[in-house]
Amino acid sequence: MKDCKAVREQLALLLYGELSFDEEERIESHLDACVDCRAALKREKELHAAFDQYEATPSPSLLRDCREDLAIRLMEEAAVPRPAHDGWWDRLIDALTWRPTGALMRPVGALTLMAIGFGAARMLPASLSANAQFAGLVPGAARVRYVEPASDGKIQIVLDETRQRIVSGRLDDQQIKTLLLTAAKDPSDPGLRAETVDILNTRAQSADVRDALIYSVQRDQNAGVRMKALDGLKPYAQEPEVRAALTQVLLKDSNPGLRTQAIDLLTKGSSVDRQVIGTLQELMLRGEQQGYVRERCRRVLEAMNASLETY
Amino acid sequence: MALKSGLQMDESALIRAAQDGDHAAFEQLVRAYDQSVLRLAMNLLRSPEDANDVYQEAFLRVYRNLHSFRFDCSFHTWLYRIVTNLCLDQMRKRKVRKEEPTVLATAEGPLDRMDAVPEERVDGDPQRHLFSGQVRRRIREVLGELTPRERMVFELRHYQGLRLRRIGEVLGTTEEAAKNCLFRATQKMRAALGDFI
Repeated sequence: MKDCKAVREQLALLLYGELSFDEEERIESHLDACVDCRAALKREKELHAAFDQYEATPSPSLLRDCREDLAIRLMEEAAVPRPAHDGWWDRLIDALTWRPTGALMRPVGALTLMAIGFGAARMLPASLSANAQFAGLVPGAARVRYVEPASDGKIQIVLDETRQRIVSGRLDDQQIKTLLLTAAKDPSDPGLRAETVDILNTRAQSADVRDALIYSVQRDQNAGVRMKALDGLKPYAQEPEVRAALTQVLLKDSNPGLRTQAIDLLTKGSSVDRQVIGTLQELMLRGEQQGYVRERCRRVLEAMNASLETY
Repeated sequence: MALKSGLQMDESALIRAAQDGDHAAFEQLVRAYDQSVLRLAMNLLRSPEDANDVYQEAFLRVYRNLHSFRFDCSFHTWLYRIVTNLCLDQMRKRKVRKEEPTVLATAEGPLDRMDAVPEERVDGDPQRHLFSGQVRRRIREVLGELTPRERMVFELRHYQGLRLRRIGEVLGTTEEAAKNCLFRATQKMRAALGDFI
């Protein structure tokens, strides 16, 4: 009986294969001879099987949400300048080169846009439809705007209701494009803006899209979104309106990664116009604070045999 | 978990590339491990929101600290140290608050949020139908009674399939200590569930 107690205590470890060779041998020999312990082993296996059934598997949608959230957070992380003691050089280079690729940055918002509008929602549970005026009332989706007692003893309630609607179409569909151009400026959601700009980048040959990207690269609050917009504008770096935007980025943006990319784009090619040289000289003259930007300005000016601080 | 595709870089090369700022390599690393990280967090915390929080924080820490990874241990062990520490912190906070995070009080009585969590087996599995809600609730109670470390060791051994030696490495302890922990956990569970199953 003493053996039985000791053996049964080890059954779980036996099933996990975590006993030494000698321990396992001893237990196996005991099990060969002991019916009660064999029954105990059977119960132990059933217990293990029960635990297997309790395992919680994350849903595919949770995994997708996690990946999308992470892509956005990494993009924001990459856009934040790092303190010097934290490997600033590498971080800066990261900021310059970080391009969340399509796999992580899945554009969920892509052509499936949640168009939010005011009006009576039509998606109503059957149980709520008994009274026509409450048809479409979705708890939580409506906001009480005004309440007012009416003369007949009833209460009048004015509701703002929103509902989500899914529309889909190709990017060359003007209505889809218009929604995307609006979403690219949605101040409330940097993630949405980033995904939208990503999509718009594929149509930057269109003037209205390019205008939106120019707006984003200069005015978006989020450096990650600005960086994406800059990506979309790269092929058009010789266009006057894009060059003007790049100059503004160089002069005013707080992110060294963006500013350095602006320098690279403005000075790409065999000849650099005098205005750009003047801008770089101006930065040097006013004592550019961001070391990497200052260094890049200096190198470009030296390569052109231009004076460092004289316009 | 090793990367299986021969087309992909081996893991060391991926890590080095990611350390050099190759974000596609970093993304591949995330993709190689993120499902098991999420499964671990979800199984331990039983809350999609908390599991997502752990997922985000874990990979952000990896991103921020990858440059200091020196191959002293496997990347898997390093990542799991981060994840298990985050989960243990969360579980200890819950113990202090004495919360039962998966059970919500509702007007209709207690509601187990995990009842809404999809289960692993596909619909139609006859074994699934035999597994009663009563047993699930009892298992949940018993797992809730384990200490966070016991719960963690059990999770890593039973659900994640890690050997005790690796569990010791992940939790910063010896194989023997992990074995004792697993022993205590299984003893408690057998005592509480032995007659129930």
